Amino acid sequence: MYLTNMDELINLTPCGFLTLSREGKINTVNQTLLKILNYDERQLIGQHINITLTKSSQIFFQLYFTPLINVKHHVEEMYLSFVAKDGEEIPVLLNASLITNEVQEIIACVAIPMRKRSEFESQLLYAKKAAEAALKEKNNVLSKLENTLNTLQTKQEQLLEVNKVNQLFKIVTERELQLAKKVQETILPKDIKNNDLEIVSYYKASNSLSGDIYGYYEINPHQYGIILLDVMGHGISSALITMSLQSIYQRLISQGCSAQKVMQSLDSHLHQLFQNSEETRHYCTALYLFIDTEKQIIEYANAGHPPAVLLDTKGGLHCLSAQSPPIGMFDEIDFQVSTIHYNSGDRLFLYTDGVFDPLNLEILYDFAKKYKNLPLKQLKQQFIKDLKSKYLQYKKSDDQCLLVIDLN
Amino acid sequence: MVQNILVRNNVKISGAGIQPILFAPGFGCDQTVWKFVAEAFEEDYKVILFDYVGLGNSDISSFDPMKYNKLSGYVQDLLDVCEALNLKDVIFVGHSVSSMIGMLASIQRPEYFSQLVMIGPSPCYLNYPPDYFGGFEEKDLIGLIDLMDKNYIGWANFFSTILMSTSAREDVTKDLEERFCSTDPVVARAFAEASFFSDNREDLPKALIPSLILQCSEDTIAPTEVGQYLNQHLPNSTLVYMNAVGHCPHMSNPEETVQCIKEFITNGSSEFSLDVVPNKHG
Repeated sequence: MYLTNMDELINLTPCGFLTLSREGKINTVNQTLLKILNYDERQLIGQHINITLTKSSQIFFQLYFTPLINVKHHVEEMYLSFVAKDGEEIPVLLNASLITNEVQEIIACVAIPMRKRSEFESQLLYAKKAAEAALKEKNNVLSKLENTLNTLQTKQEQLLEVNKVNQLFKIVTERELQLAKKVQETILPKDIKNNDLEIVSYYKASNSLSGDIYGYYEINPHQYGIILLDVMGHGISSALITMSLQSIYQRLISQGCSAQKVMQSLDSHLHQLFQNSEETRHYCTALYLFIDTEKQIIEYANAGHPPAVLLDTKGGLHCLSAQSPPIGMFDEIDFQVSTIHYNSGDRLFLYTDGVFDPLNLEILYDFAKKYKNLPLKQLKQQFIKDLKSKYLQYKKSDDQCLLVIDLN
Repeated sequence: MVQNILVRNNVKISGAGIQPILFAPGFGCDQTVWKFVAEAFEEDYKVILFDYVGLGNSDISSFDPMKYNKLSGYVQDLLDVCEALNLKDVIFVGHSVSSMIGMLASIQRPEYFSQLVMIGPSPCYLNYPPDYFGGFEEKDLIGLIDLMDKNYIGWANFFSTILMSTSAREDVTKDLEERFCSTDPVVARAFAEASFFSDNREDLPKALIPSLILQCSEDTIAPTEVGQYLNQHLPNSTLVYMNAVGHCPHMSNPEETVQCIKEFITNGSSEFSLDVVPNKHG
């Protein structure tokens, strides 16, 4: 038999078909849907569609299906869950339209079960939610990072500001130091050259201001006082002490005081300075020479200073070594004074330990002998040249002072 | 500011009357749902329609997930509209969750409202046995959210919601033609959570202005017991049972709905018919 009757065809068509009243009551339902839902026709006709929906779908139906069908007169692709008589849930996709004529108003619905598709979609949604959660987390982390970055930038700006202040401070300090250096250098005596003797000096601070200081004074036409001091450490504090010491020895030496008196006065000055402050205590090595050009003698006192070296005309070397500890170190030191004779043409080397290593005087001896025939001015040039070479490179980080005296 | 609110909430005003009547749509839909009812009031009233932010032709860029995940966000929308229009003694008609939104707004600013008409209201959708039966278990409501996820009605843009933050959605959605109903995962989800998981039972005694509860038959969302509970706890309420079936009488039975509203607002709660049950305190 040929199936030509549309009602019969709809009954058997491979999708659920039902019609509802405007209130949602079931008017007709096709065989296919009855089979899916496992109901008899008489059990459904006249019932509200709610009977075939899960509780959640009942709410959804009220919230979306009713407004859409009433206002738009059609519903497309609505996902709902039917529930069969035996309780099995059947996800369906529902299309519906409102059909009106003079006699009646019905809602025609087509429902296609979509179990597999629904399951797949559930998994997609699950993955989507996971991705959204991950994105949210990522954004959280990102915003935290941004905060950190902002804090960092603020700190950096503050640092730059501080740096600017520091830079300004540095410039001011540098200017002050240069001025102080000039003040310190101003008190150094000029080289001497006369019939009795000739003195040249080399003086270099490791860092603007020096802890070394020297002086020489013509007491009378045939007597000279020569002093060289090295205050422990270097830099501003040491330089301040050299200045304080200078004001004392300058007066004493000019008055022709004995070597012992000069040393004792400097020593007691240092003790007085630091009597209440161990923290700032400085000591100082000192070498004082009293030269009598008539008698051709040198009286000297050496307080912990590297030995002065006398090179005689025959090439012999004589050390004017320390007889006492540095000044400012111990109380009530008896400063010894020694005397040596010299001959015309002898040459004296006085230096601080920034120039020659007192524990290895060979270098000084070599230097003295090698250039013994050079006039003092040239010797100084040679010395400066050699300082730059490896030959004399000893301690660059210390203050340097060298005095060379030719005794005529 | 006023203009901003009117645009933001897509406020539409019509009607020849002076007395304002404001219709607030229920969950998930825009003002279109009132088209069968509202026109019946145009002759005698000033009819005001609006959309909550995120729905219909509201300005979706104003949607703030933190604001609109609580009923207070929607209450503020309603108060903003009242303020922008300088309304006083407005007759408020709310469907479904808008009934509660209107009630909460009337507690905050009683001077804005003269009467509340609640169509299918519920102060709480969850069951709290043994004292209260809102009609739903938590799993039913979670199932509803899942169904919303699997329906793409009025979505702003399915894929853009994954890739973009809410604030960036403006460009994607401004050309959207229609958002009459929405299961949008951002907007409708926030509204759903605000609506279906709220419990406003404790606020009921504070709502003192006259109210009408329109109770449909066979309403799964707002069952008869819930209507009766409301009637008992709302101090100045009247409960009217409608012949309409379901949750949306304003669409399925607009004539009956119009008649019920008109009877109430013209006669107030003093009008008695067989179907009218006044509150015992009212």
